[in-house]
Amino acid sequence: MAGSTSSWSRALVQISPYTFAAIGIAIAIGVSVLGAAWGIYITGSSLIGAAIKAPRITSKNLISVIFCEAVAIYGVIVAIILQTKLESVPSSVMYAPEALRAGYAIFASGIIVGFANLVCGICVGIIGSSCALSDAQNSSLFVKILVIEIFGSALGLFGVIVGIIMSGQITWPSNAA
Amino acid sequence: MSSSFSGDETAPFFGFLGAAAALVFSCMGAAYGTAKSGVGVASMGVMRPELVMKSIVPVVMAGVLGIYGLIIAVIISTGINPKAKSYYLFDGYAHLSSGLACGLAGLSAGMAIGIVGDAGVRANAQQPKLFVGMILILIFAEALALYGLIVVGSSKFIFDHLEYGCFSAFIWWLLCTCCRIKKGFLADDKACESFHLSTAVLCRLGLCVCDPIH
Repeated sequence: MAGSTSSWSRALVQISPYTFAAIGIAIAIGVSVLGAAWGIYITGSSLIGAAIKAPRITSKNLISVIFCEAVAIYGVIVAIILQTKLESVPSSVMYAPEALRAGYAIFASGIIVGFANLVCGICVGIIGSSCALSDAQNSSLFVKILVIEIFGSALGLFGVIVGIIMSGQITWPSNAA
Repeated sequence: MSSSFSGDETAPFFGFLGAAAALVFSCMGAAYGTAKSGVGVASMGVMRPELVMKSIVPVVMAGVLGIYGLIIAVIISTGINPKAKSYYLFDGYAHLSSGLACGLAGLSAGMAIGIVGDAGVRANAQQPKLFVGMILILIFAEALALYGLIVVGSSKFIFDHLEYGCFSAFIWWLLCTCCRIKKGFLADDKACESFHLSTAVLCRLGLCVCDPIH
Protein backbone atom coordinates (compact mmCIF):
# COMPACT_ATOMS: atom_id res chain seq x y z
CA MET A 1 0.00 0.00 0.00
CA ALA A 2 1.40 3.37 -0.87
CA GLY A 3 2.69 5.43 1.98
CA SER A 4 2.86 2.69 4.54
CA THR A 5 6.50 3.32 5.39
CA SER A 6 6.16 6.24 7.79
CA SER A 7 3.69 8.73 9.21
CA TRP A 8 5.13 11.52 7.04
CA SER A 9 4.62 9.34 3.99
CA ARG A 10 1.05 8.56 4.94
CA ALA A 11 0.29 12.28 5.09
CA LEU A 12 2.26 13.25 1.98
CA VAL A 13 0.80 10.67 -0.41
CA GLN A 14 -2.67 12.07 0.22
CA ILE A 15 -1.65 15.45 -1.25
CA SER A 16 -1.94 15.76 -5.01
CA PRO A 17 1.36 16.49 -6.79
CA TYR A 18 -0.40 19.33 -8.57
CA THR A 19 -0.80 21.10 -5.23
CA PHE A 20 2.93 21.07 -4.70
CA ALA A 21 3.59 22.06 -8.30
CA ALA A 22 1.21 25.01 -8.27
CA ILE A 23 2.51 26.31 -4.95
CA GLY A 24 6.09 25.93 -6.20
CA ILE A 25 5.41 27.97 -9.32
CA ALA A 26 3.64 30.65 -7.28
CA ILE A 27 6.54 30.91 -4.84
CA ALA A 28 9.05 31.10 -7.71
CA ILE A 29 7.45 34.21 -9.15
CA GLY A 30 5.93 35.75 -6.03
CA VAL A 31 8.91 35.66 -3.70
CA SER A 32 11.34 36.70 -6.48
CA VAL A 33 9.24 39.77 -7.19
CA LEU A 34 9.12 40.48 -3.45
CA GLY A 35 12.92 40.45 -3.37
CA ALA A 36 13.15 42.72 -6.40
CA ALA A 37 10.66 45.18 -4.90
CA TRP A 38 12.46 45.21 -1.55
CA GLY A 39 15.75 45.96 -3.28
CA ILE A 40 14.26 48.66 -5.47
CA TYR A 41 12.74 50.58 -2.59
CA ILE A 42 15.94 50.42 -0.54
CA THR A 43 18.04 51.66 -3.47
CA GLY A 44 15.50 54.12 -4.81
CA SER A 45 14.90 55.96 -1.59
CA SER A 46 18.63 56.40 -0.92
CA LEU A 47 19.26 57.41 -4.52
CA ILE A 48 16.62 60.12 -4.47
CA GLY A 49 17.75 61.43 -1.12
CA ALA A 50 21.41 61.55 -2.13
CA ALA A 51 20.56 63.24 -5.43
CA ILE A 52 19.20 66.33 -3.67
CA LYS A 53 22.68 67.75 -3.25
CA ALA A 54 24.27 65.86 -6.16
CA PRO A 55 21.81 65.58 -9.05
CA ARG A 56 24.51 64.25 -11.37
CA ILE A 57 24.30 60.76 -9.83
CA THR A 58 20.73 60.05 -10.89
CA SER A 59 21.14 58.53 -14.33
CA LYS A 60 24.29 56.53 -13.51
CA ASN A 61 22.84 54.95 -10.37
CA LEU A 62 19.71 53.74 -12.09
CA ILE A 63 21.82 50.70 -12.93
CA SER A 64 21.45 49.54 -9.34
CA VAL A 65 17.68 49.61 -9.79
CA ILE A 66 18.08 47.59 -12.99
CA PHE A 67 20.16 44.96 -11.14
CA CYS A 68 17.27 44.52 -8.71
CA GLU A 69 14.76 44.31 -11.54
CA ALA A 70 16.80 41.52 -13.15
CA VAL A 71 16.03 39.40 -10.10
CA ALA A 72 12.32 39.63 -10.87
CA ILE A 73 13.02 38.65 -14.49
CA TYR A 74 14.84 35.52 -13.27
CA GLY A 75 11.72 34.59 -11.30
CA VAL A 76 9.48 35.11 -14.34
CA ILE A 77 11.72 32.97 -16.56
CA VAL A 78 11.87 30.05 -14.15
CA ALA A 79 8.15 30.22 -13.38
CA ILE A 80 7.38 30.02 -17.11
CA ILE A 81 9.81 27.11 -17.53
CA LEU A 82 8.17 25.25 -14.64
CA GLN A 83 4.70 25.93 -16.05
CA THR A 84 5.62 24.36 -19.37
CA LYS A 85 6.73 21.25 -17.50
CA LEU A 86 3.27 20.74 -16.01
CA GLU A 87 1.47 17.92 -17.79
CA SER A 88 -1.94 16.52 -17.22
CA VAL A 89 -1.98 12.84 -16.32
CA PRO A 90 -5.06 10.62 -15.95
CA SER A 91 -6.29 10.13 -12.38
CA SER A 92 -5.27 6.48 -12.42
CA VAL A 93 -1.61 7.46 -12.32
CA MET A 94 -1.93 10.79 -10.52
CA TYR A 95 -0.57 9.34 -7.28
CA ALA A 96 2.02 7.12 -8.92
CA PRO A 97 5.54 7.50 -7.47
CA GLU A 98 6.85 9.19 -10.59
CA ALA A 99 4.07 11.78 -10.56
CA LEU A 100 4.69 12.47 -6.87
CA ARG A 101 8.39 12.98 -7.57
CA ALA A 102 7.61 15.43 -10.37
CA GLY A 103 5.39 17.45 -8.05
CA TYR A 104 8.04 17.58 -5.33
CA ALA A 105 10.69 18.63 -7.87
CA ILE A 106 8.62 21.58 -9.09
CA PHE A 107 7.93 22.61 -5.47
CA ALA A 108 11.60 22.51 -4.48
CA SER A 109 12.67 24.26 -7.66
CA GLY A 110 10.21 27.06 -6.97
CA ILE A 111 11.41 27.45 -3.38
CA ILE A 112 15.05 27.57 -4.48
CA VAL A 113 14.50 30.22 -7.11
CA GLY A 114 12.12 32.29 -5.02
CA PHE A 115 14.15 32.54 -1.86
CA ALA A 116 17.54 32.85 -3.57
CA ASN A 117 16.17 35.78 -5.57
CA LEU A 118 14.63 37.26 -2.40
CA VAL A 119 17.96 37.47 -0.59
CA CYS A 120 19.77 38.55 -3.75
CA GLY A 121 17.33 41.41 -4.28
CA ILE A 122 17.70 42.66 -0.71
CA CYS A 123 21.51 42.38 -0.90
CA VAL A 124 21.76 44.25 -4.19
CA GLY A 125 19.37 46.88 -2.84
CA ILE A 126 21.46 47.56 0.26
CA ILE A 127 24.69 47.77 -1.73
CA GLY A 128 23.02 49.96 -4.36
CA SER A 129 21.94 52.38 -1.68
CA SER A 130 25.51 52.59 -0.34
CA CYS A 131 26.74 53.01 -3.91
CA ALA A 132 24.47 56.01 -4.46
CA LEU A 133 25.42 57.63 -1.16
CA SER A 134 29.18 57.23 -1.70
CA ASP A 135 28.94 58.27 -5.36
CA ALA A 136 27.30 61.51 -4.24
CA GLN A 137 30.39 62.30 -2.16
CA ASN A 138 33.15 61.00 -4.46
CA SER A 139 32.37 60.09 -8.05
CA SER A 140 35.36 57.76 -8.45
CA LEU A 141 33.72 55.29 -6.06
CA PHE A 142 30.81 54.39 -8.33
CA VAL A 143 32.58 51.76 -10.42
CA LYS A 144 34.34 50.22 -7.41
CA ILE A 145 31.15 49.70 -5.42
CA LEU A 146 29.45 48.41 -8.59
CA VAL A 147 31.95 45.49 -8.51
CA ILE A 148 30.56 44.53 -5.09
CA GLU A 149 27.03 44.77 -6.49
CA ILE A 150 27.95 42.33 -9.26
CA PHE A 151 29.11 39.81 -6.63
CA GLY A 152 25.74 40.22 -4.97
CA SER A 153 23.72 39.69 -8.11
CA ALA A 154 25.49 36.37 -8.77
CA LEU A 155 23.44 34.85 -5.94
CA GLY A 156 20.22 35.11 -7.94
CA LEU A 157 21.97 33.36 -10.83
CA PHE A 158 22.97 30.47 -8.54
CA GLY A 159 19.30 30.00 -7.68
CA VAL A 160 18.26 30.01 -11.33
CA ILE A 161 20.98 27.49 -12.24
CA VAL A 162 19.97 25.01 -9.55
CA GLY A 163 16.27 25.54 -10.29
CA ILE A 164 16.79 24.72 -13.96
CA ILE A 165 19.00 21.71 -13.20
CA MET A 166 16.32 20.41 -10.86
CA SER A 167 13.62 20.96 -13.47
CA GLY A 168 15.32 18.26 -15.53
CA GLN A 169 14.02 15.80 -12.93
CA ILE A 170 10.42 16.62 -13.78
CA THR A 171 9.04 13.65 -15.71
CA TRP A 172 5.41 12.68 -15.46
CA PRO A 173 4.26 9.08 -16.02
CA SER A 174 3.10 8.49 -19.55
CA ASN A 175 -0.63 8.25 -20.13
CA ALA A 176 -0.64 4.54 -20.92
CA ALA A 177 -0.02 3.07 -17.48
CA MET B 1 6.28 2.17 -15.33
CA SER B 2 6.08 1.57 -11.61
CA SER B 3 8.34 -1.47 -11.92
CA SER B 4 11.27 0.72 -12.94
CA PHE B 5 10.85 2.93 -9.86
CA SER B 6 12.30 1.43 -6.68
CA GLY B 7 12.25 2.91 -3.22
CA ASP B 8 9.77 4.92 -1.19
CA GLU B 9 7.40 7.27 -2.98
CA THR B 10 7.74 10.27 -0.69
CA ALA B 11 11.51 10.08 -0.19
CA PRO B 12 12.21 12.55 -3.05
CA PHE B 13 10.25 15.20 -1.11
CA PHE B 14 12.89 15.25 1.62
CA GLY B 15 15.73 14.93 -0.87
CA PHE B 16 14.64 17.91 -2.96
CA LEU B 17 14.03 19.95 0.20
CA GLY B 18 17.61 19.15 1.22
CA ALA B 19 18.92 20.58 -2.03
CA ALA B 20 16.69 23.63 -1.54
CA ALA B 21 17.94 24.14 2.02
CA ALA B 22 21.57 23.90 0.93
CA LEU B 23 21.24 26.62 -1.67
CA VAL B 24 18.76 28.95 0.04
CA PHE B 25 20.51 29.17 3.40
CA SER B 26 23.98 29.49 1.82
CA CYS B 27 22.66 32.29 -0.37
CA MET B 28 21.21 34.00 2.70
CA GLY B 29 24.63 33.89 4.35
CA ALA B 30 26.37 35.07 1.21
CA ALA B 31 23.88 37.91 0.78
CA TYR B 32 24.27 39.05 4.39
CA GLY B 33 28.07 38.97 4.13
CA THR B 34 28.12 40.80 0.82
CA ALA B 35 25.65 43.49 1.91
CA LYS B 36 27.15 44.18 5.33
CA SER B 37 30.76 44.32 4.10
CA GLY B 38 29.69 46.30 1.05
CA VAL B 39 28.14 49.01 3.19
CA GLY B 40 31.37 49.18 5.22
CA VAL B 41 33.49 49.44 2.08
CA ALA B 42 31.31 52.19 0.61
CA SER B 43 31.35 54.21 3.84
CA MET B 44 35.11 53.79 4.21
CA GLY B 45 35.75 54.60 0.57
CA VAL B 46 34.50 58.15 0.92
CA MET B 47 37.53 59.03 3.04
CA ARG B 48 40.09 56.58 1.54
CA PRO B 49 39.18 55.73 -2.07
CA GLU B 50 42.52 54.05 -2.73
CA LEU B 51 41.76 51.27 -0.23
CA VAL B 52 38.46 50.16 -1.80
CA MET B 53 39.80 47.52 -4.18
CA LYS B 54 41.90 45.98 -1.40
CA SER B 55 38.87 45.84 0.88
CA ILE B 56 36.77 43.72 -1.46
CA VAL B 57 38.24 40.55 0.15
CA PRO B 58 35.30 40.02 2.60
CA VAL B 59 32.87 40.32 -0.33
CA VAL B 60 34.74 37.63 -2.29
CA MET B 61 34.82 35.33 0.72
CA ALA B 62 31.08 35.74 1.19
CA GLY B 63 30.49 34.97 -2.47
CA VAL B 64 32.36 31.68 -2.11
CA LEU B 65 29.72 30.55 0.40
CA GLY B 66 27.11 30.77 -2.33
CA ILE B 67 29.29 28.54 -4.51
CA TYR B 68 29.53 25.92 -1.71
CA GLY B 69 25.73 25.85 -1.52
CA LEU B 70 25.44 25.63 -5.30
CA ILE B 71 27.81 22.63 -5.48
CA ILE B 72 26.02 20.70 -2.72
CA ALA B 73 22.56 21.50 -4.16
CA VAL B 74 23.58 20.24 -7.60
CA ILE B 75 25.18 17.09 -6.15
CA ILE B 76 22.03 16.33 -4.15
CA SER B 77 19.52 17.02 -6.90
CA THR B 78 21.37 14.91 -9.48
CA GLY B 79 21.63 12.11 -6.91
CA ILE B 80 17.85 11.73 -6.69
CA ASN B 81 17.18 9.24 -9.45
CA PRO B 82 14.82 6.49 -8.31
CA LYS B 83 14.82 4.87 -11.74
CA ALA B 84 18.58 4.31 -11.84
CA LYS B 85 19.25 3.65 -8.16
CA SER B 86 16.69 2.79 -5.49
CA TYR B 87 15.86 5.80 -3.35
CA TYR B 88 14.53 4.96 0.07
CA LEU B 89 13.48 7.20 2.95
CA PHE B 90 16.99 6.73 4.35
CA ASP B 91 18.48 8.39 1.29
CA GLY B 92 15.89 11.15 1.42
CA TYR B 93 16.60 11.95 5.05
CA ALA B 94 20.37 11.77 4.44
CA HIS B 95 20.08 14.31 1.64
CA LEU B 96 17.86 16.53 3.81
CA SER B 97 20.39 16.51 6.64
CA SER B 98 23.31 17.14 4.31
CA GLY B 99 21.54 20.09 2.74
CA LEU B 100 20.57 21.58 6.08
CA ALA B 101 24.09 21.07 7.47
CA CYS B 102 25.77 22.79 4.56
CA GLY B 103 23.14 25.52 4.29
CA LEU B 104 22.95 26.53 7.93
CA ALA B 105 26.74 26.42 8.26
CA GLY B 106 26.96 28.72 5.26
CA LEU B 107 24.35 31.05 6.78
CA SER B 108 26.28 31.36 10.02
CA ALA B 109 29.62 31.80 8.25
CA GLY B 110 28.09 34.51 6.07
CA MET B 111 26.83 36.42 9.08
CA ALA B 112 30.25 36.23 10.71
CA ILE B 113 32.03 37.31 7.53
CA GLY B 114 29.64 40.23 7.09
CA ILE B 115 30.06 41.67 10.57
CA VAL B 116 33.84 41.08 10.69
CA GLY B 117 34.27 42.46 7.18
CA ASP B 118 32.32 45.59 7.99
CA ALA B 119 34.31 46.32 11.14
CA GLY B 120 37.56 45.22 9.55
CA VAL B 121 37.48 47.43 6.49
CA ARG B 122 36.55 50.47 8.54
CA ALA B 123 39.38 49.77 10.99
CA ASN B 124 41.84 49.05 8.17
CA ALA B 125 41.19 52.51 6.76
CA GLN B 126 42.40 54.07 9.99
CA GLN B 127 45.20 51.63 10.84
CA PRO B 128 46.76 49.83 7.82
CA LYS B 129 48.56 47.26 9.99
CA LEU B 130 45.20 45.63 10.72
CA PHE B 131 44.78 44.18 7.24
CA VAL B 132 46.46 40.83 7.95
CA GLY B 133 44.53 40.50 11.21
CA MET B 134 41.23 41.09 9.41
CA ILE B 135 42.13 38.42 6.82
CA LEU B 136 42.98 35.91 9.55
CA ILE B 137 39.66 36.44 11.32
CA LEU B 138 37.81 36.14 8.00
CA ILE B 139 39.54 32.83 7.31
CA PHE B 140 38.39 31.50 10.68
CA ALA B 141 34.84 32.56 9.82
CA GLU B 142 35.06 30.88 6.39
CA ALA B 143 36.19 27.69 8.11
CA LEU B 144 32.77 27.47 9.75
CA ALA B 145 31.23 26.88 6.35
CA LEU B 146 33.87 24.24 5.71
CA TYR B 147 32.82 22.41 8.90
CA GLY B 148 29.38 22.03 7.34
CA LEU B 149 30.99 20.70 4.16
CA ILE B 150 33.03 18.17 6.17
CA VAL B 151 29.86 16.77 7.75
CA VAL B 152 28.30 16.58 4.32
CA GLY B 153 31.44 14.83 3.11
CA SER B 154 31.16 12.18 5.76
CA SER B 155 27.72 11.37 4.37
CA LYS B 156 27.74 8.75 1.72
CA PHE B 157 27.99 10.68 -1.46
CA ILE B 158 30.96 13.00 -1.39
CA PHE B 159 33.40 10.12 -1.50
CA ASP B 160 32.05 9.58 -4.96
CA HIS B 161 32.67 13.23 -5.77
CA LEU B 162 36.08 13.98 -4.28
CA GLU B 163 37.01 15.84 -7.41
CA TYR B 164 34.78 18.68 -6.24
CA GLY B 165 37.07 19.12 -3.24
CA CYS B 166 40.09 19.21 -5.54
CA PHE B 167 38.32 21.68 -7.74
CA SER B 168 37.58 24.12 -4.93
CA ALA B 169 41.20 23.86 -3.67
CA PHE B 170 42.30 24.57 -7.23
CA ILE B 171 40.03 27.62 -7.43
CA TRP B 172 41.49 29.01 -4.21
CA TRP B 173 44.99 28.40 -5.56
CA LEU B 174 44.11 30.28 -8.74
CA LEU B 175 42.73 33.22 -6.74
CA CYS B 176 45.91 33.36 -4.66
CA THR B 177 48.09 33.32 -7.77
CA CYS B 178 46.13 36.14 -9.37
CA CYS B 179 46.36 38.19 -6.18
CA ARG B 180 50.09 37.77 -5.89
CA ILE B 181 50.69 38.60 -9.51
CA LYS B 182 49.09 42.00 -8.90
CA LYS B 183 51.78 42.87 -6.40
CA GLY B 184 50.08 45.76 -4.70
CA PHE B 185 46.98 43.77 -3.74
CA LEU B 186 48.21 41.37 -1.06
CA ALA B 187 51.81 42.35 -0.41
CA ASP B 188 54.14 39.36 -0.03
CA ASP B 189 53.69 38.55 3.64
CA LYS B 190 54.02 35.20 5.34
CA ALA B 191 50.29 34.56 5.81
CA CYS B 192 49.59 34.92 2.11
CA GLU B 193 52.50 32.67 1.12
CA SER B 194 51.53 29.91 3.53
CA PHE B 195 47.88 30.05 2.43
CA HIS B 196 48.94 29.82 -1.19
CA LEU B 197 51.18 26.84 -0.47
CA SER B 198 48.52 25.03 1.54
CA THR B 199 45.93 25.30 -1.25
CA ALA B 200 48.46 23.88 -3.70
CA VAL B 201 49.23 20.99 -1.34
CA LEU B 202 45.53 20.27 -0.74
CA CYS B 203 44.85 20.21 -4.45
CA ARG B 204 47.77 17.84 -5.09
CA LEU B 205 46.74 15.54 -2.23
CA GLY B 206 43.20 15.49 -3.49
CA LEU B 207 44.36 14.50 -6.94
CA CYS B 208 46.50 11.69 -5.49
CA VAL B 209 43.47 10.35 -3.64
CA CYS B 210 41.11 10.70 -6.57
CA ASP B 211 43.27 8.86 -9.11
CA PRO B 212 43.21 5.39 -7.46
CA ILE B 213 39.45 5.64 -6.90
CA HIS B 214 38.59 6.33 -10.51
